[in-house]
Amino acid sequence: MKLSFTSIKSGLTVAALAVSFWSCNKTLEEPQRVGYTPASTDEKAGTWKTYVLTSPTEVTIAAPKMPNTAEYAAELADLKAKATNLSPQQQEAVVYWGAGAVYRWNEIARELAARYNLAPASNAEGKYPVPDPANPLADPRFPFANPPYTARMLAYLNVAQYDALVTTWHYKYQFKRNAPSKYDAGIRVALPVSTIPAYPSEDAVVAAASVAVLKAMFPGEVPYLEQKLKEHRDSRLWAGMNVESDLLAGAELGTAVAAKVMARSRTDGMSAANNQVLTAAMIEGAKKLGMTDVWLSQESPARPPMLPNYGAVKNWNFDEATKVKLRPGPPPVAGSAQFEKELEELRTIQKGQTREQARIANYWADGAGSYTPPGHWNRTAANTAHEERYSEVRMARTLALVSTALMDAGVCCWETKFYYYSPRPQQYGVKTSVGLPNFPSYTSGHSTFSGAAATVLGYVFPGRAATFDKLAQEASVSRMYGLIHFRSDCEVGLRCGKNIGAYAVDRGKADGSGL
Amino acid sequence: MKLSFIRLLLLGLLLSTGAKAQMPHDAIYMSKGQVCVAALYGQSSWNQYWEGTLKRPNLNIGTHTTHNVMLMPAIGLSNRFNLILSLPYVWTQTSAGNLMGQRGIQDLAVWGKYRAVAVGGFSLHAVAGASLPLGNYVPDFLPMSIGLQCRTATGRLIASYRHRPSGLYLTGHGSYTWRSNIRVDRDAYQADGRVYNTNEVRVPNAFDWGARLGVLRSKWQTEVWAEHNACTSGDNIRRNDMPFPTNNMQATMVGWYGKVQPRNIGVNARIGYVVDGLNMGQSTSYMVGVLYQFKVK
Repeated sequence: MKLSFTSIKSGLTVAALAVSFWSCNKTLEEPQRVGYTPASTDEKAGTWKTYVLTSPTEVTIAAPKMPNTAEYAAELADLKAKATNLSPQQQEAVVYWGAGAVYRWNEIARELAARYNLAPASNAEGKYPVPDPANPLADPRFPFANPPYTARMLAYLNVAQYDALVTTWHYKYQFKRNAPSKYDAGIRVALPVSTIPAYPSEDAVVAAASVAVLKAMFPGEVPYLEQKLKEHRDSRLWAGMNVESDLLAGAELGTAVAAKVMARSRTDGMSAANNQVLTAAMIEGAKKLGMTDVWLSQESPARPPMLPNYGAVKNWNFDEATKVKLRPGPPPVAGSAQFEKELEELRTIQKGQTREQARIANYWADGAGSYTPPGHWNRTAANTAHEERYSEVRMARTLALVSTALMDAGVCCWETKFYYYSPRPQQYGVKTSVGLPNFPSYTSGHSTFSGAAATVLGYVFPGRAATFDKLAQEASVSRMYGLIHFRSDCEVGLRCGKNIGAYAVDRGKADGSGL
Repeated sequence: MKLSFIRLLLLGLLLSTGAKAQMPHDAIYMSKGQVCVAALYGQSSWNQYWEGTLKRPNLNIGTHTTHNVMLMPAIGLSNRFNLILSLPYVWTQTSAGNLMGQRGIQDLAVWGKYRAVAVGGFSLHAVAGASLPLGNYVPDFLPMSIGLQCRTATGRLIASYRHRPSGLYLTGHGSYTWRSNIRVDRDAYQADGRVYNTNEVRVPNAFDWGARLGVLRSKWQTEVWAEHNACTSGDNIRRNDMPFPTNNMQATMVGWYGKVQPRNIGVNARIGYVVDGLNMGQSTSYMVGVLYQFKVK
């Protein structure tokens, strides 16, 4: 009946342990990004070389009403009214968008990629229905935002943002109408104000250009994107940063530039990227090259390969002939001594995969439901540029260099994959601790993407080059630790990626920025 | 080693006062100084699962099986307060597809069970439990993971009526489990329809209730049971996606449990079947165990 001393003590221990768990809250700590005054205004950016536009003046906007006019005075008065008595939601929106227009729209793009990165399920007949752009929200949803799709989406997004911002800078420094608070000290500003002219608003430009690209890439998300667009636009008024005419001119400019950029997207060959009819000839070609074993889908039922003709899509930083030149030599053929050695290496990892190897494999897996390796590197680029307090135009330049290199890497890697049509380790009984991609093995996409991105980032942020290189090497070897790639796939892929990235670096050095 | 074990066994036989293996959800107690150690093997397998509410097979998994071996001592610190410990070693495998099985030591669980009220055949019990992951296993390679890496704390109430002359009993319990956030290897993931840019994952809390009807005699026990386990929140597995620790996993199970323990050595067995669920496999599970009871002090 009476409790012994030991039992009371044990009871208390259990209770104390329990209480310590009850009190722990479930809030997640996510890194917060806030606004800043750019380290440089980059006032000469209006002369930087654009990707699709031949010159910034290809798109024109009207001259603004200057500070001494009644019209502008009325705009200032209107802004003064809007920038006071903000609700908590309005304040939240101001802080959120204040982190940067390019920064936030890239984050949104990555989020959409993650949401749409799911392979279609097989139907009752054992077939995989193809997503239909005309019916994006039906099952399977369009798009399947896999790594090649996401690489291309981000490239167009970042090129549109960059070309639009170069044009914006051209007009900003042509008209030199400053931030409204420079003319009326009574305007309450909620964010840091720089000396960069405010007309047209870079926020409105980036928002309009981004929405135009993302609507085309994610046609099922039009209402969501329009709601974000409105919030972004309004946040500039609530923050006291832009008057209505800054925003109107920006929206007009951003929309016009994006239309020109997206005209390129309709003729870049993406519409034929999933042409499955071509695979028979690709397999024949690989066999003629000496590939005794070819890739076979390891899914049940067998799934057609992901975008077998993506390798024919137009590159950003070089031409067709260079693409062929960049293709590496063949992988070790099944049965060769080198192949057996590399297979044995994977079997050894499978038997004794360490926790650290698993961690590296998981960290870089970027599989279904993630924003894919291109999204991962896009995030690294955006976060680094944010830490370096880059202006919107320099941030966009960085992301355009990285994202075009990532898309070039994807195109070249896919061209190589389907040229050699090489088998996966799973065709020899190797199991995997990450998701198994459904396309040929050689070369590793992660390695190629990572080599290209790290090379460009090392050029943009020379002080961190060694760090990016180390990250790329880890991303590359992660595919061996995850047991889905042979060593040759990873090492050759990484090397190819670096060569591909060098073309984007050459472009950066010659774009007139002097950076 | 062997000798001392036999001596301990003999000692146990001599001091035997009636055998009763016990669990954190029943109304059975070790009397003061009694210890019952259960060595259990269990396996649970499914070839269909609920992806959200959609029940489906997956040809890339075939039949998924989880095995475990577990040591589970129950210690009578007093006649009305028992401490129960458990530590499982778990391994997983599939019959088809390429997913690599995972294996390792899972979570140490500690339960304190206290008989608060006993009037006639009727009794009320308060149970507090906590668990701590001991193995450094990967929590988010589902469905192959061997656990979720949560620290948990459980509060449970048990009500029981036992008809003394016949041994017939009816027991019901309800519990609430707090589960800690976990850390995963990746630094961004998707849950609740959005991307989280952190390696910290919110695992939903859970509750469960169960009812058991059976007969308990001095040397044997048989019961039928029904249990419902569910998260209090969480998201669904998306169409054709993998499961994730944030999923709202639910299962309603029915089963049978039996035990024969004529002296200090006994055996027990359990069969369970999931009749309905959400975001998890429709499993059939078996467990068999050897029980050994002895007295200390």
